[in-house]
Amino acid sequence: MTRRLMLWLTGSTILFWILAAGLGAFVMREEFDEVFDSSLQETAERLMPLVVDDLFQRDSLDEPRRVASGSENDEYLTYQVRDAQGTVLLHSHDAQPEPFDAPLRRGFSDTATQRIYTVDAVSGTIFLQVADNLEERREAMTEGLLSLMLPIVLLVPLSMVSIWYFVRRSLKPLGALRREIGARDGGNLEPMAVDGLPVELQPINISVNRLLERLRTALEAEREFASNSAHELRTPIAGALAQTQRLIAELPAGPERSRARAIEASLSALSHLTEKLLQLARADSGIGASTAPVDVMAVIQLVAEDFNRMSEHAGKLELRLDGIQEDAPFLRRVDADALGIILRNLIENALLHGDPDGPVSLTISADGTLTLANAGHVVPQPQLGQLTKRFKRNNSSAPGSGLGLAIVDRLARQMGAKLMLASPARGREDGFEAELSLPP
Amino acid sequence: MRILLIEDDKTIGGAVRDHASADAHAVDWAMSLTDARGFADVAAYGLVLLDLQLPDGSGISYLRDMRSRSDTTPVIVLTARDQISDRIEGLNSGADDYLVKPFDLGELSARIHAVARRYSQQSAPQITIGAITIVPAERRISRDGEPLELTAREWAVLDSLLSRPGSIVSKARIEDALYAFGAEIESNAVEVYVSRLRKKLGAETIATVRGIGYRLAAS
Repeated sequence: MTRRLMLWLTGSTILFWILAAGLGAFVMREEFDEVFDSSLQETAERLMPLVVDDLFQRDSLDEPRRVASGSENDEYLTYQVRDAQGTVLLHSHDAQPEPFDAPLRRGFSDTATQRIYTVDAVSGTIFLQVADNLEERREAMTEGLLSLMLPIVLLVPLSMVSIWYFVRRSLKPLGALRREIGARDGGNLEPMAVDGLPVELQPINISVNRLLERLRTALEAEREFASNSAHELRTPIAGALAQTQRLIAELPAGPERSRARAIEASLSALSHLTEKLLQLARADSGIGASTAPVDVMAVIQLVAEDFNRMSEHAGKLELRLDGIQEDAPFLRRVDADALGIILRNLIENALLHGDPDGPVSLTISADGTLTLANAGHVVPQPQLGQLTKRFKRNNSSAPGSGLGLAIVDRLARQMGAKLMLASPARGREDGFEAELSLPP
Repeated sequence: MRILLIEDDKTIGGAVRDHASADAHAVDWAMSLTDARGFADVAAYGLVLLDLQLPDGSGISYLRDMRSRSDTTPVIVLTARDQISDRIEGLNSGADDYLVKPFDLGELSARIHAVARRYSQQSAPQITIGAITIVPAERRISRDGEPLELTAREWAVLDSLLSRPGSIVSKARIEDALYAFGAEIESNAVEVYVSRLRKKLGAETIATVRGIGYRLAAS
C-alpha cells in the first residue's frame, strides 16, 4: 500500500509538473515572439534614416558594400539594403551577400531560417530588410524550456523522499494496528489498545475488539460446557459403575455375577471413551494456548504419581532428568491442564501398546523436550503418520479408543509445541518414541 | 475406622457406603456440608471422603476450613474434576489423596487402606525409614542408632510429612503445621526447616516435589 501510494503520488506530481511546464513554454513562446518581433521592427525603423543618409553621401557602386562591424561578435540581427529591383546595395558584415528571400514589401515575412522585417524609404526605391535568425529564437526557447524542466529532475527524487516520509508517518498507526491484530491468536484474545489511532482507523479497532470479545465469550462458553459436561457425564457413570461393582461383590458366583461383570466391563469402556471425548472437547475449545508460564516438572510429577499408584502400572514409568537442576524452576508457557492431558495420553499409549514387561521412560531435557520411549513392536512408517488422525489405530484389535494421539496432536499445536513420533525408538531396534518440544 | 462420607449423589454415595462398610469401616453419610458439620461436631473421624461439588457449597472450602482449624483428619477427595489445575488446588487446600470419578471401588479400598495404615502407623510405637528410626510418641529419633535432636518446629514439619509417608504433602499443609506455633512465619520457612531436617536425617529421606510440596521416603 505504501509503495502504491508513493508511485501514484510521485507519478501524478511529475505529470502535473510537465503539463505546467508545457503550458508555460507555450505562453513563453508567444511572448518571446512578440518581444523579438517588436525589437526587430524597432531596429529597422531606427536604422532606416541612417542608411538613407549614408547612401546619399556615397557614390553608387556595383558591388554591394559591406559595413564593417565594430566588434567581431556574431550578430543577432543582420540587415540588407536593397533597391526596388532587389539588388543588394548594402549589408551588415554577417549578412549573406545574396538578397534575402523575402518580398520587398513593408512588414514581416518568414523564410526557412529567418524572420525578416522590411521598411521602405524614398518613395519605395530603397528597402531595408532586417533579419532575425530563427535559430537564435529557437535557442532562447530551448533554454527557457530547459530552465523550466531542470527543477523536475531535482524535484522528483526530493518529492519521492518527502512523499515516502509522510506516507510512512501517516501509515504508522495502521502498522501498529496491524501488529496488534497479528498478535491475537487462540491464546491471546485480549482487547487491543492502540495509542494515538487516527479517527479513520478507530472504527476498525472498535470492531475488532467487539469481535474478540464475542470470540472470547464463545470460547469460554465452550470451555465451560466441556468442563460442566465432564461433571454431568462422569457422575452417573461413576454411580452405575460403583453400584455394579457392589452388585458383583454381593452376588454369589454364577451366571448373574458373570453378567454383572460384563456390565462392569462395558461401563469401564464407556467411561474411558467418555474421558477421551471430553478431552477432545477440551482440546477443541482451545485450552492448549496459554500466556502464563507453569512449572512443567510439577505437572509431570503429578501425572507420574497417578500412574505409579495404579497397581497394574506401578513402577513401570521411569523419569529421567537431563541437565535439569533439582531446585531451579522449569517454566514453560503452556497450559497445565493441556500438558497433563498430553502426558496422560502419551504414557497411557506407551503402557497399553508397549512391551508389557519393558519399562517406559520419560526423559525431560533442559531445552524443553519431553521424550517418552517404550519397548515393543515397531509401527511401520506409513501408519506412523496416520496415528494422529481421529479413530485411527495401528492395530485395530488392540485396546484403545484411537483418540489419544489425535488429542495430543491438537493440544500440542495449540500450545505451539512440536510432536514427533518415531518407531523404532532412537538408539533401539524396536519400540516407539514420542518427542514433545515445548515452546519457551 | 470411622469414616465421614460427604457426597450428594445417592447412587455413588450408597455404593461407597456399602463398600466401605463391607470393608469393616463405620460410615456416616452426609449429603450436604451442613450435615457434614453436624456430624463432625459430635464425632471424631479417622477419614473424610469428600465430594467437591455439593448443593450448599464447595468441598474445597470445607477442606480449607478443616485445615485452618488445625484439623488434621486425612481427607480423600472424590471428584469428577480430573484436571491438573484441580488436583493442584486440592492438594494445596490440604487433601491427602485425590480420586477421580468414575473410580474403581477396589481402588477406593486400596486408598482407604493406605490412609488407615498411616493412621495406625502414627500410633505405632516405632517408624523406620532407611537408617532412621522414629518413635513419635516419645519424640525420639535416631540415625544408625545415634540419637538426633530436633527442635519443636522441626518436629512439626516431620509430623506433617509422617502423616503421609511415600505421598506428596503440600507446602501449604506444612506451613499450616508451622503456623500452629503462632509465631510469625517467613515466606521461605518451609524450605528452611525441610533443609535442616535433610541435614539431620539425610538428603534422600525427603524428596522435593516441584511446585507442590515434599514427600517422605516410604518406610
